[in-house]
Amino acid sequence: MFKFHLLRGLRDWAGHLILIAVPVLLIAFFNYVFSGAQFRYGQGANPIAFLSALTIGFALTFQIYGASVSFEVIGDDFLSPKKDRLLASPAEPRAIVSSTIVVGFIVSFLQTLAVLLFASLALKAELGSIAVALPIFALSAAFNQLLGTAVLILSGSVKLANGILTFYGAVAPMAMGLYFPLPQNGFFSFVREYLGPMALANTAILGAMEGNSFKLAVGVGSLALLSLGLFLALPSLIRRLAR
Amino acid sequence: MVVEIRELIKRFDGKLALDCFNLEVGEGEVVGLLGPNGAGKTTSIRALVGLLPVDDGTISVFGRRQDGRDKDIKRRIGYVTQELTIYEDMSARDNLSFFGSLYGLAGRRLEARIEEVAGLIGLNGRLGDRVKTFSGGMKRRLNIGCSLLHEPELIIMDEPTVGIDPQSRNFILEFVKSLASGGASVIYTSHYIDEVEAVASRIYIMDQGHTIASGTLPELIARIQGDSHILVDVRIAAEKVRQELLAVPELKDVVIEENRYHIVVPGGVSAFEKIIPILSPQGIVNINSKQPDLEDVFLTLTGKQLRDGA
Repeated sequence: MFKFHLLRGLRDWAGHLILIAVPVLLIAFFNYVFSGAQFRYGQGANPIAFLSALTIGFALTFQIYGASVSFEVIGDDFLSPKKDRLLASPAEPRAIVSSTIVVGFIVSFLQTLAVLLFASLALKAELGSIAVALPIFALSAAFNQLLGTAVLILSGSVKLANGILTFYGAVAPMAMGLYFPLPQNGFFSFVREYLGPMALANTAILGAMEGNSFKLAVGVGSLALLSLGLFLALPSLIRRLAR
Repeated sequence: MVVEIRELIKRFDGKLALDCFNLEVGEGEVVGLLGPNGAGKTTSIRALVGLLPVDDGTISVFGRRQDGRDKDIKRRIGYVTQELTIYEDMSARDNLSFFGSLYGLAGRRLEARIEEVAGLIGLNGRLGDRVKTFSGGMKRRLNIGCSLLHEPELIIMDEPTVGIDPQSRNFILEFVKSLASGGASVIYTSHYIDEVEAVASRIYIMDQGHTIASGTLPELIARIQGDSHILVDVRIAAEKVRQELLAVPELKDVVIEENRYHIVVPGGVSAFEKIIPILSPQGIVNINSKQPDLEDVFLTLTGKQLRDGA
């Protein structure tokens, strides 16, 4: 079953290319516009190269869109006539959905790696000890796959789930001030660093890169708790899907 | 008995979809479930497979109560859905492999079964091709093949020939017969009379959620044997004339079939002298009488032609 889902997940070459090429182009574009600028995430925070902030930000943003790798497959399986055939088999719906989410996670993480690699090699982004941050990118990819699945099941429609996540994927980087600078005050610092899963992942990654254990712990801890919450809700969501 | 359904009741929003529906299927038997669209065929099949909770009645499969949770029952059933439920972006082999794995097949046994089933459904040369390159008939055959990998003892086929060419249809009908000769029990639903006639050893006629009649084809025909059928072809058949014919007390029923009046007359009654004067002004082209078949059984029992409801 896993092999089938993996083949199915990897088959959409055009989709994968879009999820790699679009962030890469956006990073290159914004880097050209704000060439050499520094980026400060909050009051008193260490400034980092804008290219690094862009790379991390867009890699995280496109993990949100990468959630479609699994939820579109789950939608095709369980919100279509295929559902009857799958439920008529002795296979557990939970096993089918889990296998799809795991594949979605792998594919999304590979897309993230491709984006990071491009920014590092082609644009010479200074990602410092990015290897330390890779597990956080992985956690964020897992969270987004779970989030996409939950949104799909609760909305009951692939189209609606796509709309919701597209909106979230557009708003989240704005709240982090990726597209335009936000005022440097306590409120916006909080928004940038802690409001939403993407901000938490970003804070944790910066914490890991800078050796700031507080930011790392708060970011990873919060994101892990959110992921755990979604993971624990998954069985009841799948029961709803299989009704 | 492989399947025993007793007094099944299912309502959707208060409307009866199954109304005291009964069905029995023995070992190695091909049972045809015949009825127009909306008769309740798919609802009864979904309840039988365990996909639909029912409001009342009992379903027993392999002597066990079917509640949709018994994995042993699921392992022994092959369900061919009415709609194509295969993955068009994947190859035929991928599809067969996936559905086999859902039933616990793996490794060499799965590979062997894929080859075997591909041979049975006539796709052994196309296993590596993506399904979206297949014709409608090939997709239908693959849709069936995906339900056979685990060698089910009961195969449930819900209108498996919808939208395919006659050649593929004949292939599927012959294939169903071969499944039964191999010992499997088959439930075959259709709204095509000739298909059910061709494959089923016993037939259930369904309408409005319940069984109107059941039995072998000769048994069903025997129920209406007293009636004779007169087919009168005219230039243009008219409803007004049909009403005139229905007013003749000797006639049991009259149905218009394009430019033909299909007149049902009780056995032993001579009605020609009353029919001819009514139909002469219509311009009689041809007159025939015919032996009753399954279509006549359906017409007599339901008062309508199957394609009226389809």
